[in-house]
Amino acid sequence: MTAEGPLYRAPREWTHLHPVSPFLGGWAILGLLLAYWIHQFLPSWVDGGDDTFAFFDRFPLIGLIVAATLGFALTMAVSVWQWRRTQFRIGDDAVYLRQGIVTQQQRQARLDRLQAVDVVQPLLARIFGFAAITVQVAGGQKSGIELKFLRLGDAEALRNEILALAAGVKAGGDAPEADAMAGDAAASSGGIRAHLAERAEALANPEALLTGRENVRTAVAAAEEREVYSVPLGRLLGSIALSGPTIFLLTLPFAGLIGFVFFQLDVVAAVAAILGTSLIAIVTALAGLLGYFWTRLNGGFGFTAGISVDGLRLRHGLTETRRQTVPPGRVAAIRLYQPFLWRSRDWWRITINVAGYGEDQESVSVLHPVATREEALRAVWLVLPDLGDPDPHGTLGYALHGTGDEGGFTTSPESARRVDPLQWRFRGVRATDRALLIRRGRWERELFVVPHERTQSLGLTQGPVRRALGLANVEVHSTQGPVRPIAAHLAVDDAVALLDAQAARAREGRRRQTPEQWMSAVGLSGAPTEGDVHG
Amino acid sequence: MSWYESAAAPWNPVSRKLITARIVPLSITLGLVALGGTVAALLADEPWLLAVTVGALVLAAWGSWVIVRQVSAHAWAEGEEDLLVRKGRMFRSVTVVPYGRMQFVDVKAGPLDRYLGIATVQLHTASPGTDASIAGVPAEEAARLRDRLTTRGEARLAGL
Repeated sequence: MTAEGPLYRAPREWTHLHPVSPFLGGWAILGLLLAYWIHQFLPSWVDGGDDTFAFFDRFPLIGLIVAATLGFALTMAVSVWQWRRTQFRIGDDAVYLRQGIVTQQQRQARLDRLQAVDVVQPLLARIFGFAAITVQVAGGQKSGIELKFLRLGDAEALRNEILALAAGVKAGGDAPEADAMAGDAAASSGGIRAHLAERAEALANPEALLTGRENVRTAVAAAEEREVYSVPLGRLLGSIALSGPTIFLLTLPFAGLIGFVFFQLDVVAAVAAILGTSLIAIVTALAGLLGYFWTRLNGGFGFTAGISVDGLRLRHGLTETRRQTVPPGRVAAIRLYQPFLWRSRDWWRITINVAGYGEDQESVSVLHPVATREEALRAVWLVLPDLGDPDPHGTLGYALHGTGDEGGFTTSPESARRVDPLQWRFRGVRATDRALLIRRGRWERELFVVPHERTQSLGLTQGPVRRALGLANVEVHSTQGPVRPIAAHLAVDDAVALLDAQAARAREGRRRQTPEQWMSAVGLSGAPTEGDVHG
Repeated sequence: MSWYESAAAPWNPVSRKLITARIVPLSITLGLVALGGTVAALLADEPWLLAVTVGALVLAAWGSWVIVRQVSAHAWAEGEEDLLVRKGRMFRSVTVVPYGRMQFVDVKAGPLDRYLGIATVQLHTASPGTDASIAGVPAEEAARLRDRLTTRGEARLAGL
């Protein structure tokens, strides 16, 4: 709140996004790629040595350059036009966006259905100090709103204000009049000079910039945050090293050796033949393999989780940084997963379902990319401060590592051995007062935690084989996301009892669930908090 | 037969007309295959092509038997707080949908359904996994059911 120059206010009138937006879009990356590609292939193309480019040889080089420039200019013009046609505003109940060149489309994200607000900074935007905001609301795919781009400070201010409004803290009474003249100026508050000064300052502290902890001035302060855990780079790299694809890469030379020794294959010739076929194919294959490592590294880099009045805050990303805020009670299900290779370290990967985030597992649905056991417990606590169990650590311990019915788990009967020989002993279900725990896995371990009040519906299913063995599955339907909890191979009686009990518990849970406006719950409505609007 | 008894509410079986609604398209499809097989066998004078006809007829008979069993197992129950949908014989399932979790209700009826006077009522929650569609509800009952569900849903609406 101490910035010089005019302060940013979230616009109540239709407002454009920042004018640099068209230049920061993804196509800029495409342009860079194109430039690189031309740089790589221009020699062979000019010489006419490579007939891949024979098509282009029919045109004079100058013509191609002109065509490329025209194409570039056209793309630019369209982007700028799109930007001209895109406007947004916020109201007390919703965020509005209208866009589209040919058909105007208007969309509103109702704040009472708000699920999460993210501040996203792709690489280019990050270098220049801009950010996009995505507002996720419940109501299927594509119901969210994406505003790109705003100045980083403005984006944070907007995020904080949206969260304050959604929480039920009403904005100051003077808001509407002051907004009448906000207009386009609001989108570029501070002016270029101030922005550049701020950039220079930020670049002077590259470490903060790299880890996405850049300090920005915002007109609306964020709710105070307490850090709960962060992931050291060493552990992240270790977790990536201890993964299936790494093992696959490591076994390749051995496979070659075996082929050479036992089958007399000419490995060198084979590899050369593969390499010789097509460089592009090799690059694609490598990219596919490395893509896995890259998404894990990029998504988990600098991962930090914190808690604030506005809910869960997650921050992560190497090239593209993302700062997520998930208000209290929006997490519909948690999955803790331990691949076999992580067992010796007792590491867990934790993913969550948040309505609106959809299936995008890698970038948004991760609660912890690689948690120690202690951190895993803390991560569950973050989402469910009250597990509804007198001994939450003991119970979660049994859930993560237990076998059989110790800790009060309902297990699969012995007849399940026929269909599930490896892990029938490890399956278990237990309900606490607040959540359902579903556990499975012998070599790899998996635990689902579903808060009762977040259960959508329940299913009981049985096919002919399970029927013959007296088994049934109970599915807990959660919102769309990577977590799909299912309690498999229970004895029919147990399954039916679980279904009935769970329906009753979900009913009970819905009665006392957090209201959508989480601040109103604690009687803070209308109170001026640190998140309140500064005129 | 019944493996899950709703404690609170009686099961409403779906209309037997659903059997007709499902057998007719099956018979048409397989009937055409059978006809094709017969014609081909006669024209080409290849008697073994009649196997296609026989196969299609056997498939039609078996399919009809499955449909009859499925339809007789399909039922719904309106509990105090939840709607229960039961379906399937071989692969059976029971879905429990709390009224407060319903996002919207669809009532659909194709041309054949309309002729027979039945409709499909489908409940949607915020979960893609919820498979709560009731096929073969008598048309007037479907409209009433939809209204009842909506009213109850509004009364108990619980966000997500």
